[in-house]
Amino acid sequence: MRKNDDSVIFTSYLNAKVMKTRSIEVVVPPPAPHYVGDGFRVHNFIPSGYHLDMHRMTPFIMMDYNSKFVFPPSPQPKGVGVHPHRGFETVTLAYKGKVAHHDSAGNSGVIGEGDVQWMTAASGILHKEYHEEEFSKTGGEFQMVQLWVNLPSKDKMSKPKYQGLRHADIGKFELPDHAGVIEVIAGQYEQVKGAASTFSPVHLQNAKLNKGGKADFNFPSHYNTALLLIEGSIKVNGTEAVETDHFVLFENDGEAFTIEALETAVVLVLSGEPINEPIAAQGPFVMNTRQEIVEAIDDYNQGKFGYLD
Amino acid sequence: MRLLIILLTIFLLTSCCCNYDEKDFDFTATHNKLLHPYTKGDTLSNNLMIENYKRFIKEKAGLAAEEIETLTASLQSKTFHKGDFLLHAGEVCAYAFFVEKGLLRSFTTDETGKEHIIQFGPENWFVTDRSSAYFHEASDFSIEAIEETTVVLIDAAFISRAASVYPSFMLSNEKALQNHIRQLQKRINLLLSATAEKRYLDFIRLYPDLTLRVPQWMIASYLGITPESLSRVRKELAKNNFKPHS
Repeated sequence: MRKNDDSVIFTSYLNAKVMKTRSIEVVVPPPAPHYVGDGFRVHNFIPSGYHLDMHRMTPFIMMDYNSKFVFPPSPQPKGVGVHPHRGFETVTLAYKGKVAHHDSAGNSGVIGEGDVQWMTAASGILHKEYHEEEFSKTGGEFQMVQLWVNLPSKDKMSKPKYQGLRHADIGKFELPDHAGVIEVIAGQYEQVKGAASTFSPVHLQNAKLNKGGKADFNFPSHYNTALLLIEGSIKVNGTEAVETDHFVLFENDGEAFTIEALETAVVLVLSGEPINEPIAAQGPFVMNTRQEIVEAIDDYNQGKFGYLD
Repeated sequence: MRLLIILLTIFLLTSCCCNYDEKDFDFTATHNKLLHPYTKGDTLSNNLMIENYKRFIKEKAGLAAEEIETLTASLQSKTFHKGDFLLHAGEVCAYAFFVEKGLLRSFTTDETGKEHIIQFGPENWFVTDRSSAYFHEASDFSIEAIEETTVVLIDAAFISRAASVYPSFMLSNEKALQNHIRQLQKRINLLLSATAEKRYLDFIRLYPDLTLRVPQWMIASYLGITPESLSRVRKELAKNNFKPHS
């Protein structure tokens, strides 16, 4: 027993010794926005951004960012009509405004400020996403992230699933010295575990930092790791200043990085173990082979994803 | 009366139709000349964006790489934004459009303002108005880009030149024309006699990925059914084919 304890202590000592700072590969400014449906005015970072293709960013294969935008009142809720997905998960994070969701598995829900919707499309689902009715009537500030997380080949045809994560249910780690709070959506920060269950190791966290607040992060160096600055301005690793709405991709050359808020900041932190499998992607389907894409289109056309009005 | 109008429309139909197995290539005009230089669209590139068209001729006419290069050296491509019109009804246009990338639709608008879609043109399809491009008459149809679309501009002089130099090109062109007529006959028959479900099943066979690229009302318009009927058909299909995970 004694020997084992020693070896644990020795290993963690060794880890602490070799922990290396992760350097910044690229800071990407928000690309020109485009509309998804009529309700989401988004900047696409993954996969079309410089350095941000699916293979580089796996398991994160798509990220659309609706930077803060004021939608005027609309009697008809704006959004995206019924469309299918297969082979991955869609994760929607609401920062401002409210989104309603309905899917062919019978799930529905509204997410508002701080809430997250984690939908596992897996073998196939139809869904639609709209501005929530009351929000639509009054209009107002709207800010969202939609992230697609790939599924390992063995899980692509598993049963669809829906996790609606309320802000109140998301684990929070209070940083020392009133630096702020880390909200752990998935994965782990210190002893706080994420609310969402995932199919491969994924960390997804909102760091809400007060002015001057600092937070340290560390993830295995081979995990693909990035930040999106939702609000405020920050300095990364004590050197690189990053402006609002910019995306930071880290190299895979170390584990640790720090964020310091130059003014009150909200930072989306993402890190995930790469899924090193072939990717065949077309429109709303992300599979491993071209043949599987053809099957997905066929199954969708034949009604095998179900029906949603 | 409605059937008669459909029938007449189809007989006047001047856009090509092809599918992934039976691609079509049906420009047989030999005496046409440019009616006016083409000025629509926002970019004009020379021979840079016509890779699909070159591959298409290679497959259909079996020409050698250098023959294709010589033949296509003078061809031009243009890129249109979503919502741009390549042709308005009432205009005359000397070109057939080969879709390199993107998606076109040709359609008519009736007296009530309702649109009737004659054809969708995704990658590797031709879209044109034959009364305009071949007979130099005002077009019955409008052609609109429903995605950002790059097209190769093909005029009758090009076809005529290619056919005179390469017999295999002429043969492939004739075959494509025959195929085009075959497809039109099928479409007339479907519009006259088939149920909404049969029309839809034929549509997803011909255009597998368009259900993901165009709104339902456009598909309904192409099929000559109401959006409600299309919705009912899709619901029925789902009822018969959807097997939820146990």
